[in-house]
Amino acid sequence: MSTQDKPYSAARMNDAMLSSMQPPTIRWFLLAFILGAIVAVGLYAFTVQLTTGMVVTGINRPVMWGLYIISFVFWVGLSHSGTMVSAILRLSQASWRRPILRGAEAMTVFSIAVAGLFPLIHLGRNWIFYYLIPYPSQYGLWPNFRSPLLFDMVAINTYIIGSGIFLYIGMLPDLAVVRDRSSGFRKQIYSLLALGWRGTAEQWRVFSRGSTLLACLIIPVAVSVHSIVAWDFAVTLVPGWHSTIFAPYFVIGAITSGVAAVITLMIVIRKVFKLEEFLLPLHFDNMSKLLLAVCLLWSYFYFAEVFTTWYGHKPIEWEWFSYMHDHYGIALFIMILGNTIVPIIGLCFRSVRRSMPALLVITLLVNVAMFIERFLIVVPSLSHKNIPFAWGSYTPSWVELAIALAAFALFFLLYTLFAKFFPILAVTDVREQEEALIGQQRLGRTQVETLVNEE
Amino acid sequence: MEVLGVFDNLESAATAVDNLLEAGVAEAKITTLSSVPYPDGVLVKSEGKPRFYLFTLVLGACGALAGFSLAAGTAWLYPLQTGDKPIISIFPVGIITYELMMLFAIVGTLIGMLWGMGLPDFKPKPYAMEIANGAIGILIDAENPAEIERSMQCLQRSGAQKLCTEEETS
Repeated sequence: MSTQDKPYSAARMNDAMLSSMQPPTIRWFLLAFILGAIVAVGLYAFTVQLTTGMVVTGINRPVMWGLYIISFVFWVGLSHSGTMVSAILRLSQASWRRPILRGAEAMTVFSIAVAGLFPLIHLGRNWIFYYLIPYPSQYGLWPNFRSPLLFDMVAINTYIIGSGIFLYIGMLPDLAVVRDRSSGFRKQIYSLLALGWRGTAEQWRVFSRGSTLLACLIIPVAVSVHSIVAWDFAVTLVPGWHSTIFAPYFVIGAITSGVAAVITLMIVIRKVFKLEEFLLPLHFDNMSKLLLAVCLLWSYFYFAEVFTTWYGHKPIEWEWFSYMHDHYGIALFIMILGNTIVPIIGLCFRSVRRSMPALLVITLLVNVAMFIERFLIVVPSLSHKNIPFAWGSYTPSWVELAIALAAFALFFLLYTLFAKFFPILAVTDVREQEEALIGQQRLGRTQVETLVNEE
Repeated sequence: MEVLGVFDNLESAATAVDNLLEAGVAEAKITTLSSVPYPDGVLVKSEGKPRFYLFTLVLGACGALAGFSLAAGTAWLYPLQTGDKPIISIFPVGIITYELMMLFAIVGTLIGMLWGMGLPDFKPKPYAMEIANGAIGILIDAENPAEIERSMQCLQRSGAQKLCTEEETS
């Protein structure tokens, strides 16, 4: 089959895949304005906290970690799947990954950036945030390198930089395509971003091998980041946290929420930018199978954790568990429903895995349940620690709620801006797959398509 | 000086490469410009192995050293005694060493890739906008006017839609 005989010409594929970069419409501006307004409300709430102090939050003794740390863990978790799934699928040469990877990688960068804001917001004296950075201090203070909080700072910065590089390098050939199709001021900007890429054979060779190497490097970083976040909890002696299983349990939880979020975003992108011919039911089917597998794993980990607590019946552990059951029973039920019952039963059916409305409901439910899970990890454990006379409870204040909501708006605003100014589909990756379609061969009574392997 | 011929499909570009080789142009002097990658040998064969891995290795090692120095070295220089805990603790030092090693290795890979790809490069070079839309460029690194002329004739004979030289580009 010659290039001219292919079902889609390269120019037409470029047009279709870059349609998201058309000049913004009134609806786009309206969406950006609404999201921006919510972010502004969050900024106002933060200003109130900054000028008044942490007293405006619901954080108290003993619940010293509230909605900010819950949001931090949630957003770090969400960031997991994008780069990691993209990297795993690249290494396993799963060709169906191609239309998904850009959206997933962008999701990682924006969610880890949002996550990184929460420790800063939680600091209290936010204006001395630079105390987090380890450097010889003139104040006579030196960062305690044994503190898990320092691991966090180092790990999250590594992941932000690594994910940013992974996203940018993967986008380089697409930026060159955009450069060649634009004019005026936009052309100058994209020329700068494309760094003079021409697509020589050597450039492609280095690009291909380098991307694989980056994928190999980013996977252990992703695993380490969420393990380190888990160790923030697990290295303490707080009941419900001090568990050897916490790091892998967090990693699986993170992948679960990340995969679900990638599917949610892909459904929205597919609908909004009319990308039905590139984001096929097959892609959602495969991603749903992945989600089913991680939901099963998450359920197994949760069962293993709860089972040993229940069987051991250690008084303080049981006190914490009973408190959670008695005070947060409905939340616990929604968590089990959203993370275990609904996805595991629903995603067993092919018709559900290929139905966009059903998948949208399931994936949103998974992330609602995952946010609740973060809440149930942080609050009940801190409420009922080892000293009974210091037991307490926690209700988030309007300031915390406004900031947490603004974080969601900020994430969607960044994503909306990215989709407008950068290719949201990996154009050259998708076209490469189309180019690899070299012809048809008769097999039995039918014609089958033949593909060139990536190797 | 570089000479570029633009072809609208893979087959005619491959024919052009065959014709250039028959005309005596060394394969090492021919390269392609395309908006999608093709497996090695579909148009031209590459020589040698990319060396950008060295940046990953060297910077990764530097990162490990930096992480260890930052965590263990500074703890040793500014001791903070907490109970009977060791001044230099294995797990925290290991974690920070690991994270910085990975960070430096990733940055090293980026630098190595850019070096290997010859980027950034904003100098004007032969290029055609059609390449973004699926056309394939065959680029010859010609040394003298006779070779330029021979390459251009060969590309034209092979059905090039467009021809340009480095001189015309600048």
